[in-house]
Amino acid sequence: MSMYNAVQDWMQTTWVHHVVLDYAWSWPTLETLHFIGLSGLIGALLVMDLRLIGFERVIPLRAVHALAPVAIVSFAINLITGLGFVIAVPRMYTGNWSFWAKMICIALAGLNFALYYIAIEPKLLKAGPAAPTPISAKAAGVTSLVLWFGALSFGRLLPYLGTGGG
Amino acid sequence: MMITFHAIGMGVMVGLSVILDARLLGWFLEIPYSALQRFLGVAWLGFGINFLSGASLFTTQAPDYVVHVIFMVKMSLVVLGAITAAVLQNIVARESATWGQGAAPTNVKIIAWLSIIFWVPAIVTGRLAAYI
Repeated sequence: MSMYNAVQDWMQTTWVHHVVLDYAWSWPTLETLHFIGLSGLIGALLVMDLRLIGFERVIPLRAVHALAPVAIVSFAINLITGLGFVIAVPRMYTGNWSFWAKMICIALAGLNFALYYIAIEPKLLKAGPAAPTPISAKAAGVTSLVLWFGALSFGRLLPYLGTGGG
Repeated sequence: MMITFHAIGMGVMVGLSVILDARLLGWFLEIPYSALQRFLGVAWLGFGINFLSGASLFTTQAPDYVVHVIFMVKMSLVVLGAITAAVLQNIVARESATWGQGAAPTNVKIIAWLSIIFWVPAIVTGRLAAYI
């Protein structure tokens, strides 16, 4: 575990740690951006996943791919601002089970997307633009929404759950 | 718990609204607006979640909230944002039968800009109300 502790100690020597903690506006600004990113990600995922599940089949399946950049940019905003929080006060997060629950949700969501991208999407693209989606696609869509809403919930509850929160 | 519902409702309402606005402003033209606008129903579900969770949070500290300037600015922005969503749901939805497959007319783009101008600062002021 010495490596684990060393990384957390090192984080607190970085300029990011100081910028986030030394200015009164840093934390609220990062949090506001984190909430804006959250909204962009949830909005884009709702359209893509609900379409995958089978809602609004009047929208061609391929067309909702146009929302992927919104999801990616939103996730990037939240990855960067989230790293800012962790580098500022690493032990407040690593000591909180809700943080790890959130990280597991995000990791599983990434795995779900990889499986969808490799195994399911190629089949979908061969079917017609308004064809009913197979059960595997519906399952991937439901899993994605459950995991991302889970990540959001564990993140928001983080200050209230566990012992390391503040 | 209510604070979590409030974050979920925010993501659903604002996320979907801003995506609809972006489509009206010319992004993702391959998605027909006349079909995309049906997600407004889901957006209103998010709004309902936030109306209820927000009311519940408000009752816990009502005397503090009513004198909080940033909070009152946020509430005003939410009401204005909801009005733009109602305009999208009614007037714009009806008109979109004519241009829904392509670009939106200028008066509709103005509504879309207003929607973004109300919703994004509503998040900013809502978050900052916790700090100021």
